[in-house]
Amino acid sequence: MIKTIVNDKQLLFGILGIIALLIIVAFAPNIAPENPYVFGPDVLNKIGENGHILGTNKMGQDIFSMIIYGTRTSLQVAVISALISGLLGILIGGIAGFFGGTADRIVSEIINIFMMLPTFFLILLIIALFGNSIYNVMIVIGLTTWPSNAKLMRAQALSLRERTFVKAATAMGETKGQILFKYIIPNGIFPVIANTTVGMSNAILTEAGLSFLGLGDPNIISWGQMIYDGKSFLTSAWWIATFAGVAIVITVTIFYLLGDGLNHVMNPKHSKGKGV
Amino acid sequence: MKRYVAKRILTGLLTILIVFSINFIIINLAPGDPIKTLMGKETDDPALRAALEQKYGLDKPLHIQFVSYLKTAISGDLGTSIIYNRPVSEMISEKMPATILLVLTSGILSLIIGTLMGIVAARKEGSFIDVIFSGFSYILNSMPSFWLGLMLIIIFSSVLNLLPTCGMTDPRTSYKGIAYVMDVLKHMILPVGTLILIEIPLYYRIAKSSVLQVTNEDFILTLRATGMNEKKIFNKYIFRNAILPTVTIFGISLAYLITGVALIETVFAWPGTGRLVLTAINQRDYPTLMGIYLVMSVSVAIVMMLVDILYAVLDPRIRY
Repeated sequence: MIKTIVNDKQLLFGILGIIALLIIVAFAPNIAPENPYVFGPDVLNKIGENGHILGTNKMGQDIFSMIIYGTRTSLQVAVISALISGLLGILIGGIAGFFGGTADRIVSEIINIFMMLPTFFLILLIIALFGNSIYNVMIVIGLTTWPSNAKLMRAQALSLRERTFVKAATAMGETKGQILFKYIIPNGIFPVIANTTVGMSNAILTEAGLSFLGLGDPNIISWGQMIYDGKSFLTSAWWIATFAGVAIVITVTIFYLLGDGLNHVMNPKHSKGKGV
Repeated sequence: MKRYVAKRILTGLLTILIVFSINFIIINLAPGDPIKTLMGKETDDPALRAALEQKYGLDKPLHIQFVSYLKTAISGDLGTSIIYNRPVSEMISEKMPATILLVLTSGILSLIIGTLMGIVAARKEGSFIDVIFSGFSYILNSMPSFWLGLMLIIIFSSVLNLLPTCGMTDPRTSYKGIAYVMDVLKHMILPVGTLILIEIPLYYRIAKSSVLQVTNEDFILTLRATGMNEKKIFNKYIFRNAILPTVTIFGISLAYLITGVALIETVFAWPGTGRLVLTAINQRDYPTLMGIYLVMSVSVAIVMMLVDILYAVLDPRIRY
């Protein structure tokens, strides 16, 4: 187990990165030098001025502390939306692939159609109409991104249901529901997990994009929101937008590394590939 | 072949129908009561409400409302902007050319650059160039496009003072002819550059992995065994086979660009549909927003459909 992780550089860095992110999330109040929700007297301080490592914004909030607290928002969005999309994908794809027939044909057609819809715009539209709380953002991202998970799960279920151990379970008289939840889903879930990690990166990018268009939740600190605020100060206070973006790039890269690493380890087809 | 194309067109039409349905559902679920808005907050006259409901057909059952909604939308009537009091379709078609200019230019350029990078990396797998290109594409892939645009503005406009930051033309001048084209080109460099950088990883990944895959196939080994010139093998056999998946990616990338360009247009104040999105969001101009969503989804569905058909024409193995 440990040897596999160390051997796969992407997985190793991905896991180390996730651990670092989780530490930041858990100990945010201890790591951040200031409370970013408090508007301080130091307005638009430069880097290092008055002890602000990465400067301050127009409200006198400390940029470094904001980035630390923003990690919580991003990870929350990533995890919750990925859970929703993963669960939906597993259930819908699993049922379609396992039961086959008409149900499968209808579901795969729906998956194909949903994969052709521009997701970002749909999310944008729903958030604009229904209000921009962070919970809406998470739920809507989850509800609109399940088709790729469903597609993977369906393919897994299709091949698993022909396997001997599933046939044996049927012969033993287990019900379809039992087989689906006891054999098909647990055995076919790994590619979905790897895909969900990539979905987490996309969720972070989507949330940032929404915030940048002014559809972020104004009551919380998020990296996208910081870039949105920093846009007006691009020439006078470049640090506001720059470092929040760097935080996004690092976090998203970590999730991509983890996803690719998991893919290599769990998919024997990839085991010889070096990863592109 | 004919059957495949017919099936693909059917799926495309179904997608468009679903887009309309989603739009209709969202309008109906959205908070707010249009009749209340029309009557004004203080009035609550049941007779007036009934009259208004009848006038706008809101007293009819939902499925009849849906059919009439479909009819008007397909005839090109996307409603009226509640802020500008102009037909939404007119506002969109006015802004469309600027967006298409950005999307097509960056789509084609990123296709060429990304694919070339992928081919080079695959041919020299494991080399220094491969490592650099792969790392580059990995990082680019995790970048929010709008942030990359802002960073390019800082570098090329604030620090180096080379390129204009926003707009499509210089408002202080009124160029004609060649000078006008040059002015637009100059304003295009940053937004197009940003989009290209964001799109490169897509093409790079697919080109590299498909060249690698084809290179490892048995028929290439056979050709090598016959002593065929390596260059000829590549140009005639590997390249032709490996380039096919790029066609699909081109469709996906165009679809992504059509919607993703909104963020970039916001960054560079490019006068396209993306700017329309931003103003519509800020002014709560829902009819405009829904109209843009419809137009974009339908164009994406059409692009994807055309690309799939093109792919089937190019690759006779693809049949469902």
